[in-house]
Amino acid sequence: MLEVRRLSKRFGGLLALSSVSFDVGEGDVFGIIGPNGAGKTTLFSCLVGALRPTSGQVRFRGERIDRLSNPAVVKRGIVRTHQIVRPFRAMSVTENVAVAAYFGAGRRRGADAERRVRDVLERTALADVSGASAATLTIGQLKRLEIARALATEPRVICLDEVMGGLNPAEIVGAMNLIRAIRDSGVTVLMIEHHVHAVVGVSNRILVLNFGETIAEGAPQEVLRNPAVVAAYLGDDVRTEGD
Amino acid sequence: MKIAARLLWLAAAIFALAAPLFLERGSLNDLWNLAFAVILASAWNLLGGFAGQVSLGYSAFLGIGAYTTVLLSLKDVNPFVTLPLGALLAAVFSVVIGLPAFRLRGPYFTIATIGVAEAVRVCASTVEFTGGSSGVRMPAASFDFNTNYFAMIALAIVTVALAAWVKNSAFGVALAAIKQDIDAAEAVGVNSTRFKLAAHALSAAIVGVAGGLYAIDFQYIAPASVFDFRLSLSIVLMPIIGGVGTVAGPLFGALIVNTLQIKLLSMPALRDSFLFVYGGLLIVVMLFEPQGFVGVGRRLRRLVHA
Amino acid sequence: MTSVLLNTLLAAGLYATMAYGLAIIYGVMRIINLAHAGVMMLGAYVAFALFTRFALDPFVSLVVVAPLFFLFGVVLYAAIGRRVAGAGATPSIESLLVLFGVWLVLQNFAYVIWTGDTQSILTAYTMKSIKVLGVRLGVPSVFVFLASVASLVFLNVLLKRTYLGKAIRAVTQNRDAALLYGVNANRISAVAFGLGSAFAGVAGAMLATLMAFTPDFGRSFLLKAFCIIVLGGMESVTGVAVGALVLAALENGLAAWTPVPTSLQDAVSFALLFVALVAFPQGLPGLFARFERRSAIR
Repeated sequence: MLEVRRLSKRFGGLLALSSVSFDVGEGDVFGIIGPNGAGKTTLFSCLVGALRPTSGQVRFRGERIDRLSNPAVVKRGIVRTHQIVRPFRAMSVTENVAVAAYFGAGRRRGADAERRVRDVLERTALADVSGASAATLTIGQLKRLEIARALATEPRVICLDEVMGGLNPAEIVGAMNLIRAIRDSGVTVLMIEHHVHAVVGVSNRILVLNFGETIAEGAPQEVLRNPAVVAAYLGDDVRTEGD
Repeated sequence: MKIAARLLWLAAAIFALAAPLFLERGSLNDLWNLAFAVILASAWNLLGGFAGQVSLGYSAFLGIGAYTTVLLSLKDVNPFVTLPLGALLAAVFSVVIGLPAFRLRGPYFTIATIGVAEAVRVCASTVEFTGGSSGVRMPAASFDFNTNYFAMIALAIVTVALAAWVKNSAFGVALAAIKQDIDAAEAVGVNSTRFKLAAHALSAAIVGVAGGLYAIDFQYIAPASVFDFRLSLSIVLMPIIGGVGTVAGPLFGALIVNTLQIKLLSMPALRDSFLFVYGGLLIVVMLFEPQGFVGVGRRLRRLVHA
Repeated sequence: MTSVLLNTLLAAGLYATMAYGLAIIYGVMRIINLAHAGVMMLGAYVAFALFTRFALDPFVSLVVVAPLFFLFGVVLYAAIGRRVAGAGATPSIESLLVLFGVWLVLQNFAYVIWTGDTQSILTAYTMKSIKVLGVRLGVPSVFVFLASVASLVFLNVLLKRTYLGKAIRAVTQNRDAALLYGVNANRISAVAFGLGSAFAGVAGAMLATLMAFTPDFGRSFLLKAFCIIVLGGMESVTGVAVGALVLAALENGLAAWTPVPTSLQDAVSFALLFVALVAFPQGLPGLFARFERRSAIR
């Protein structure tokens, strides 16, 4: 469904992504891990058109999308959340999500849009703060708002960028359940995460990046046993039980 | 909108339309001026207030509308027929500028608009076919005060209604999202360039028509008057003082600035101080209440309710 | 050809002085200082006042003008600049408009004191010219060039050799890192504002020797100054100098070799500003930069 071929991104003298290639199948939960600065967020930015890749191709359901703008990619069904949340602070939770419902792939209007917004807010447990201003939310709620907004665009693929950052263990479990629910609703998930247990617990494939390059790709168990991955990122003391 | 507010708007509109029945020419002139100010302020607010893109170059659109009307009238076209043409030209020009300029963020966009407006003024002063720096005059007998008055009031009503409609539409939601965080807006599918261009074109068209009406009323236009930077400045000042991003803000701003202008001009000692006043107001508003008059009103209301 | 080259050089010196005042304030505080035009205008009038009251030669008066406007800048910063210093990556609209307001106030101030009549400074040498390399150059223009070079050299020394200068460069390049290293943001900002105003005042005083002026006159120069810092980037004195040269070359080249009338020259500068803003967001140096600063991750 999503094919990435030799994707590279250069910023002046810095090569942030170097010939990264992978495939994502429909219904996958595709995890992306790696040290800080490995290029993970840059990868997402290139996928959704927020950044233009220096070279390489991205194909989505057969169509080349690497030269499209962010809004155009969103309209085709791929959306991302931001690692550092970017809510519309002067708007309420409902209004934040409404923007996405109006202008995302779903292009809803009127009562139809309202229904969609309510639905998404329930799924992300934000229904009881729907009228609150985004400026008053806690970090956990803001993270859920990022996800809610992305979901409201009715994507086929959602790219979650470290949604578990800063969450306590209970919240992490909740996030994992949400991700499973998103997958079950028919949306393919890509997720960047540092919580290795969490990633392993929900993903069926994992990509490991370091210094912009792929150092491993495959099923979670294989990847975690890969010596290069252990050396670069994991260290020796990692449990692979889902948590 | 609440019923009381709606009734107020209706009453104001009716008052303005019926005014020639009971007001003298002098007061009607004042109303005409006020309507003109309201049109400019509300139109600018579509892009500047709703979408947050501050343009200091709106005199260009006013001038384009004015010149279109005069030059075509001199070729025996009915002045009122020239108005939609002026609007169209202004809108087209706004797109031509906007396509490159909207790649710029925030203040850089603002500076680019200053540059463009100045370039337009200089060109108009130099080129012969626009009459050079001495300007052009409307053909005689093209002026009928009542028609012109109604046209201006009608345009004012239409503009404010349009602003209200935009604010409550999906278009308005997109603009608000763009204003707050353009990248986040794009990340959820808002094609920011398209919406910015649309708001720009819409407001430019309205200002273009107002320019045409101005030309019909004043009969004589020159680059120094219609392309003047100070005009761009007062167009921006009104919605900012009144409250950007709201429908009522530009009206309050127009009222405040207009009244100030009249008061200042009538006092010989203060006649030359309008720059002090404009500048001072701008400083005070930006430092203490960027939401302007409407913002102050909201704060007071919160104090009362607390 | 030599004539064009020399005239370009003379103009570039003045332009660079004019632009640097703007660049330093932007670099340190991320504020676009529209009051720059007003300060330049005030510089012209102060030189004029010193000339008419005390018969002080305008170039000699630069010695007075510079510190006077430095002080002015610091005071202005304390009163207003502090509240609007841009924290984010892009300057705020509020700061733009506040300084715009200051510009208007300064204009009115000048109108009230000196009226809107056109003024000029006529010294014994205003009309004289000398021959350099076979080209006739106005004496004031040459003095202006020399004064510009002197001030830019001074600036360069300040930036490279003093702690203050290094702090300014550090904050310009990476504000957060500089703050972490113990740079006092407030003091640096005040100094930057002071320096910026000083340069603006000096540029204005110099302009006063070259042309007649009214309280309205800063605007086209302001736009030229922007054009220069957009073209040249604002990381260094060299960058600004390059930008100034490009603009001066374009203007003089157009005047000498094309039929574009001088009255349209300003329009050309504005068009260049527009093009520069859109096409070279990092300035010309950015085009050749090997190490671009990584833009904010989106």
